[in-house]
Amino acid sequence: MRTNKHMYIIVVLLIVCVALVAYFGVNAGVIQINGMNDIRFGIDIKGGVEATYEAKDLDRIPTETELESARIIMETRLDSQNILDREITIDKTNGQILIRFPWKSGETDFNPQKAIAELGETARLTFRDPDGNILVEGKDVKESIVQIDNKTGKPVVTLKFDSVGTKQFADATAKLVNQRISIFMDETMISSPVVNEAITGGEAIISNMGSIEEAKALSEKINSGALPFSLVSKNHSTITPTLGIGALDVMVKACLVAFAFVGIFMLFYYRLLGAVACFALVLQVSVQLLALSIPQITLTLPGIAGIILSMGMGVDANVIISERIKEELKDGKSIGSSIDSGYNKAFSAVFDGNLTSIIVAIILMIFGTGSMLSFAYTLMVGCILNFVSGVAISRIITKSLSMNKPLRNKSLYGVKFKEAI
Amino acid sequence: MIKFYEKRKIFFAISIAIMIVGLVSIFVNGINLSIQFKGGAIIKYSFTGDLDIAQVADTATKALNRNTEVQITEDLATKSKKLVLNLSGNSGLEAGEQDKLDGVLKSEYPDANLEFSESNVVQPFIGRRFLQNGMIAIALASIFIILYVWVRFKRISGLSAGVIALIALVHDVLVVFFTFTFFKIPINDSFIAVTLTIIGYSINDTIVVYDRIRENKPMFNKKPVEELVNSSLNQSLRRTINTSITTVVSVLIVYVFAYMYNIESIKTFALPMMIGLLSGCYSTNCLAGPLWVMWQKKKLLRTA
Repeated sequence: MRTNKHMYIIVVLLIVCVALVAYFGVNAGVIQINGMNDIRFGIDIKGGVEATYEAKDLDRIPTETELESARIIMETRLDSQNILDREITIDKTNGQILIRFPWKSGETDFNPQKAIAELGETARLTFRDPDGNILVEGKDVKESIVQIDNKTGKPVVTLKFDSVGTKQFADATAKLVNQRISIFMDETMISSPVVNEAITGGEAIISNMGSIEEAKALSEKINSGALPFSLVSKNHSTITPTLGIGALDVMVKACLVAFAFVGIFMLFYYRLLGAVACFALVLQVSVQLLALSIPQITLTLPGIAGIILSMGMGVDANVIISERIKEELKDGKSIGSSIDSGYNKAFSAVFDGNLTSIIVAIILMIFGTGSMLSFAYTLMVGCILNFVSGVAISRIITKSLSMNKPLRNKSLYGVKFKEAI
Repeated sequence: MIKFYEKRKIFFAISIAIMIVGLVSIFVNGINLSIQFKGGAIIKYSFTGDLDIAQVADTATKALNRNTEVQITEDLATKSKKLVLNLSGNSGLEAGEQDKLDGVLKSEYPDANLEFSESNVVQPFIGRRFLQNGMIAIALASIFIILYVWVRFKRISGLSAGVIALIALVHDVLVVFFTFTFFKIPINDSFIAVTLTIIGYSINDTIVVYDRIRENKPMFNKKPVEELVNSSLNQSLRRTINTSITTVVSVLIVYVFAYMYNIESIKTFALPMMIGLLSGCYSTNCLAGPLWVMWQKKKLLRTA
C-alpha cells in the first residue's frame, strides 16, 4: 500500500472508531456488536460459584449416560431457580461435572453453599394425581426409552416399571382414566400426559411428543430419577459479587494509570513516534476487548493481567522500532529512509519475541485450567495484534505523518538537537 | 559503553548470591503449596468489631470435627476486616458441611456481623492434576522456545545460543520461584502464569540481543568476539532499559493498587512478575551475553 501524507488521518479516525465500538458496542438492527459492558466476566470478577461434582459413595467412575442424566437434573434445577447464565461441563475421563454460574449482585439472601449442596442431591422423580398426591416414585421406574410409534410414525417415550411400580401404576391409572397424571422432578413438573386407560402390564407409553428431541429430553429426565447415586462437591469456590466488582474497579483503575504512565513516558522520550505508539496501543487494546466481547469469551483477573502484559509487549515493539529509527537518524539518514530501515531492522526482533510468547500462550491453552485459559487467550490475541497494530499500522501512520512538512524535523523523533545536526 | 564481558565475574557472583539467598529461604520458610494444588479449604468472612481468633478456631474445629486455623486480615484502603479460616488436610469440604459451618459461626458470633465473602475449596487430587498440568506446560514451553532459538539463530551458532538462552531462562524461573518462597507466597496458579510470562519475556529480551549480535556479526569478523557482544549489548541497552521501565512500572502500579485494596490474587501475581521482569532483563545482559562469549572462545581454542 502506498502511503500519502493524509493517510494518517484516515487511520487515526479508524482507530478512534474501533475504540468507540469496543467501548460502547453497536446496536443497530442487524449489526450487533457487544461493547465493553457486555464482556462475560469470570466469577473472580463478577462474583459467582464454581463447583466440581463427583459421585458420592461410588466405587467406580460414573458412566457417560449417568453423568448426562446428572447434568440434566442440574440443568432443570438451575432453570427452576432462573439461573440461565451458566456453564455445565462433563469431564468423562474423571467422572466429574463442572458447574459455573454467576452470583447476581443484589441477591443478598442467596446461600451459595446450600445451593451447591442441593444441586447435587439425587433428584426425586414422582408421578402425581391432579391433587398433588404422590402415586409412584421414580426409583420404581426401571427404564425409559424413546421409540417410534409404528402406526403414527411419531416419537414416543416408553416407560418400564419394576414389580412395585407396575402395581402402583396400575392402581393409579385405573383411578385416573381421562385425567392427567403429572411427572415431577423435585417440585418441577416435566410432563403431564392424559391417561387413556388403566395400564397393568408395567409398560406405559407417553405419546403426543412434538419432536424426537423433546422425547429424548423427557426420557432422560425420567431416567435421571433413577440415578443410583447423589453428587457432592468437595471442590468449589464462591465469590460474592461485591468483592468481585471491587477487584474489577481496582484493576481498571490500575490499567488506566499504567496506560497514562506509558503514554507520557513514550511521548516524552520518543515524541512523535511515542504519540503513534499510543494510538497503536489504543487499537491493540480495543481489538483485544472486541475479541473478548464478540465471541463472549470469559475474562478473568489473570486475563486482565494478560492484557496488561501484551500492552507491555506492544510498548516494547514500539520502543525497539523507535530506537532503531533514532539510530538511523543519528547516522545522518533522511527521515523517510530512517523510518523505513528502522522498521525493517526492528522487525526480526519483534517477530521472534512475539512468536515465542504466542508459543507460550498456545501451550498454556492446551494445559492450562480454569482462569489461566483467559490469560493465555488475551496474551495470544495481544501478541498477534502486536504485528498488526504495533508494526503494520504504526508504520503507515509514521510514514504518512513524516510526509507532512512541519513534521520533518528530527527533534520530533526524539533525537536531541545536537545529535540531529 | 559498559563492558559486560569483562565484568562477568561480578555478575556471576551476584546471581550465585541470589540463588543462595533463595535456597536459604526454602530451608527457612519451606515451600508453601497453596490449597489450589495441595487441597484443603479457605473460607473468608468480613466482620465488624473484635473476634478472638483462638475462640473462632475452636468453634470451627468443633463444628467440622477438623483442624481449622484462623487469621484476621485488614484492608488498607477500606479498613474492613476479614476473618480467614484455613482448613488443610487430605480432603476438600462438602458444600453441605460448609453450609453447616456458616450457620454455626453466625449463631455463635451474632454481634460480629459475619458476612460471607469468598471461599475456595479444593479436592487434593484435582489440585495435584492442576499442578502437574502447570509443570508440563512450563517444561514444554521451555523446550519449544529453545528449539525455536536454535533454528532461528543458526547464524550465530544456534546450539550455543539455545543452551545459553535456556540457562538465562532457568535463572529467571528460579528467581520467580524464590520470590514465592522468600515472601512466603503460597505456590498457586498465578505461579504457573507468572513463570510462563517470564519465560516469554526473558526469551524476548535474549532474542533482541541475539538479533543484534546476528546483525552485527559480519562487521566484527576480524575483531574479538567480546567486542561484538559488548557493542551489541550496548546498542540495545537503551531499548532494554526503556522497555523494562515501562513494563516494570506498569506492573508496579497494578501491585500498588492491589496492595491498597488488598486483592490477594493480584498481589501475589504482580510482585513475582515485577521481580521476574527485572531478572529477565538482568540475565540477558549480564549472564547470556558473557556466557555466549565464553562458549565461543572455548570453541575457538578447540578449533585453533
